[in-house]
Amino acid sequence: MPSRETLQRWRYNLIPDHLIGELLSKRWADNAIPFLAMVVTVIGFGTAIPGFFKPNALVESTRQLGEFSIVVTGLTVVMLAGGIDLSVSSIFALATFASVSGLFIFGLPVWACCLLAIATGAAFGAVNGYLIGYMRLRAFLTTLVTLVIGRSLYDILIINFAAQVQQSDITSATWDFIGDGKVLGVSISVLTAVVIAIIAHVALTRSRPGWHILAVGGSRRSAHNSGIRVRETVFMSYVISGICSGLAGFLIACRLSGAGPGTGLNLEILAITAAVVGGNSLGGGRGSVAKAIMGAIIVLVMNNGLIRLGYGTGTNQMVLGLMLAAAVTLDIRWLKNRHKVLDEVYVAPIYHRMGETQSAEPHSGSPYALNNRIAQTEYIGLGELEGPEDVILDRDDHLYCGTRHGEIVRFFAPDYQRSEVFAHTGGFPLGLAFDKAGTLLSCVGAMGLYGISKSGEVKQLSAETSRSYTSIVDDARLRDPNDLDVGPNGKIYFTDSTTRYDAHDWAIDSIESRPTGRLLVHDPKTGETKTLLDNYRYANGVCMAHDGQSLFFAESWACRVHRYWIEGPKAGTAECVIKDMPGYPDNINRASDGNYWMAWLGMRTPSFDLALRHPGFRKRMTSRLPQDEWLFPNINTGGVVKFDESGRIVETLGDMTGQSHPMVTSMREHKGYLYVGGILNNRIGRYKIPGADPVWSGPASYWGLSA
Amino acid sequence: MERPRILLGTFGMILDPLLDLFRGRAVTIPPMDGALRPNTLLEDSTLLREAEAPDSLVTAKGEVLFASGKDIRRLADGATIASFSETITALAANADGALAAGLESGRVEAGGKSFEGFKCPVALAFGGPDELYVCNGSDSFAPSAWAADLMNSNASGSVWRVNLRSGERSCMARNLAFPYGAAVDTGKRRLIVSESWRHRVISVPLDGGSPVELLAKLPGYPARIVASPSGYVLPLFAPRNRLIEFVLIEKDYREAMMREIDPRYWIAPSLSAARSFLEPLQNGGVRSMGIHKPWSPSRSCGLVVELDTALQPLASYHSRANGTRHGITSAIMHDGAIIAASKGSGAILRIMP
Repeated sequence: MPSRETLQRWRYNLIPDHLIGELLSKRWADNAIPFLAMVVTVIGFGTAIPGFFKPNALVESTRQLGEFSIVVTGLTVVMLAGGIDLSVSSIFALATFASVSGLFIFGLPVWACCLLAIATGAAFGAVNGYLIGYMRLRAFLTTLVTLVIGRSLYDILIINFAAQVQQSDITSATWDFIGDGKVLGVSISVLTAVVIAIIAHVALTRSRPGWHILAVGGSRRSAHNSGIRVRETVFMSYVISGICSGLAGFLIACRLSGAGPGTGLNLEILAITAAVVGGNSLGGGRGSVAKAIMGAIIVLVMNNGLIRLGYGTGTNQMVLGLMLAAAVTLDIRWLKNRHKVLDEVYVAPIYHRMGETQSAEPHSGSPYALNNRIAQTEYIGLGELEGPEDVILDRDDHLYCGTRHGEIVRFFAPDYQRSEVFAHTGGFPLGLAFDKAGTLLSCVGAMGLYGISKSGEVKQLSAETSRSYTSIVDDARLRDPNDLDVGPNGKIYFTDSTTRYDAHDWAIDSIESRPTGRLLVHDPKTGETKTLLDNYRYANGVCMAHDGQSLFFAESWACRVHRYWIEGPKAGTAECVIKDMPGYPDNINRASDGNYWMAWLGMRTPSFDLALRHPGFRKRMTSRLPQDEWLFPNINTGGVVKFDESGRIVETLGDMTGQSHPMVTSMREHKGYLYVGGILNNRIGRYKIPGADPVWSGPASYWGLSA
Repeated sequence: MERPRILLGTFGMILDPLLDLFRGRAVTIPPMDGALRPNTLLEDSTLLREAEAPDSLVTAKGEVLFASGKDIRRLADGATIASFSETITALAANADGALAAGLESGRVEAGGKSFEGFKCPVALAFGGPDELYVCNGSDSFAPSAWAADLMNSNASGSVWRVNLRSGERSCMARNLAFPYGAAVDTGKRRLIVSESWRHRVISVPLDGGSPVELLAKLPGYPARIVASPSGYVLPLFAPRNRLIEFVLIEKDYREAMMREIDPRYWIAPSLSAARSFLEPLQNGGVRSMGIHKPWSPSRSCGLVVELDTALQPLASYHSRANGTRHGITSAIMHDGAIIAASKGSGAILRIMP
């Protein structure tokens, strides 16, 4: 019998819960429910009705579907623009009459009948559009009125002219072909519907008028403010709907070769139900042609299926009504709660057992024992700076750091009292490094790898790497580029901490503890970016070793430091050099004495370590508690640790008061001083390192004494 | 406990309990609102005396005494007037100034006699010269292990009447979840008892009968309640915290935590503001831009509530998440001002109303 922990590990590490959240965060996830409903409906009625899937039956029902889905597509366009069109059924009926009378009474050619039907639809749509778009009348009432008027008109016409149509002896082969013929086994009406659907889809998703329709439906006021001609767009949406209904009317006229009192009756209810059941929002702005088609299939299959199963009109209408009610409710609830559902399911923790660690408590006697040596630093930029994740100094001793406002600020030597905005990146600049030419390189959170020239020009170097085959989130995108360093060969080695969370949600990644961090390399000569290593728990600080043959990088949530070999016999491989630290490592940088500085962004706590072995606990915590209440690692206490080439800890600096440097994410040694930064701090600390080389500096260590 | 509902409210009411089966019910706690609205009056109050873990303030012959570790000390000059061989867990004084003390081992000393048989005497009150009421917080844990009693979701506390002369004792109420304070209401012949783990104040009839709930859904854990001229003074020694309430329903994690982790670092209420980086931290408590948000979730706080005679809150005095005057286990009204003992920060304070 495996232990509870083993079971938990299997349950949470083998079942990929995180995929649910990743799927839900895709835009096309909205289609999932109507799609499932469609599959269930088709399979359900398909098995309940004998012969449902026989070719002949299918051709007949799809013919009907063709006409119906054209109407629904048109209605969807109106709904996307924020309106509603109840008059589709009377437009449909009038268009049918127009084409039937065109052929049988006036003897017009078939193409003219088709145009007549479309013109009828366009004219009626234009009336709707004019009243609603330009006269600003309510869409619901206006189209209700045109529905009633159109229907009455149709009834009058059909009474007076039905006999004439019946008695006409005009025949047309084209007309019959459109009504009964097939091209490649597919009826004309389905082909037309497919063409209309493709045109509508492309127009809505990839053309300016289509975007305007969506924008107007999403927010009329914003659309107006951004210069979209709202009235004209609304007008056009009704005309499009009218044209679609007209075309559908022509097709059914061909199929039935006549028009009766029942033509198009109650079609508006069917069409609206289809559009809404498919997932198009009644509020406008959200929806698609694919949803319209899915809705059309669901409604038609259900409607016809119920009739075939022998249910009466009452039952049929009742089912439609209930479906509409359910779809509207779901639509509103889903729209309102989608982000909450996503919040609840997105965090998908896994089991992870942290190794035993040495104590970091003061006077514990371990090499990690924290003290108060950086509690009293000289503050730089206190009250002006917000979020200096990394700090760096150039050859002229000027100090650079990023801020959470997206700027890179330069403090001027020698006293660092004056500062200027050196560059604006737009993202959150995290890791910083200088290349040989003195270009400032930065990992900009949520954006990518950027270079800033000496004159402050910002240039994107890389924002993507190669896509992996198995990932659902787009892992080609650099989601949380964190720290970088430059090799002697000029290549830029950098980390992308996680593919699961954006830069500002970095700490939540610790709750999940899913290894998605990567080490990447960018070659400025070719402009290519490659993934070197994958699957680390928050890959963080990167530092080129003093010999330039290898680099160190930190794996924050696992409390480990790894060494990756660029050259030599172990080239291309990584080994763990420090493991099971009591703190979470962040940036790593060179020290003047041949060792390395490492920042600790926070400390492990027994309660959090235990929670890592209880993934179910963390999962329920994230769904039942608001984010402010979640258990976090202790990122209110950090420190600075110095280690040597072999990974031995040399010394540890801390701030137990938490007043100056509660969380340390970076430190940079420069001419005898240590400059300390923190992503959640509002200052940079300057600490005089006892006995440090007073002339040693980073740029000289990397690129030699003269530029 | 209610979720706000507008539009489609009924539908939500039907849907939510169903969804709760899959997603689990949200863990909620009562807000600090109305008379309990936060302020910094306690944090900014006057420091009267610093002492190690001051607790159990009592007035005897016009003088304020308090317990501090194994000693009983006088507030005025800090002098120790009596000492015991173990930690004092409760004090009471009667009208003549005679003292009774509860001790860590469970012993209660009063009138020169020693009464054994209690496990966790955390509050005492005199009913008359010879009558003492004893709140026995728990049947399984000593007073210092109160957090373990809470984390085990125990309700094994009881209230006793002890005749000091004959030594006779009778149980007035059982199965209470840590009774942590008792005040005698002679007029209504009842004992007002704060029941900590159930976040409420109850009354236990002196002449027999079952307890009645008087004040419920407190946003913290009530400690020693005492009578005051306007009603009662009730200190809440720690705030309720949604993470802690969540841990209380998470059996596996909670048991593992009690088994493997030092009690100082449990996800449990605490008397003092965070002292070690090994203590749990919640997202809202992360220090950002040099600021620790006062409204952030916290395992400790300082809170004294004034109640009227109907036990309804009148006013409150706070030390919030970013403050230090936390863990008020005892507060009394003396000379028109509230004197509060902050066990967590080792200070006795006078609150200026």
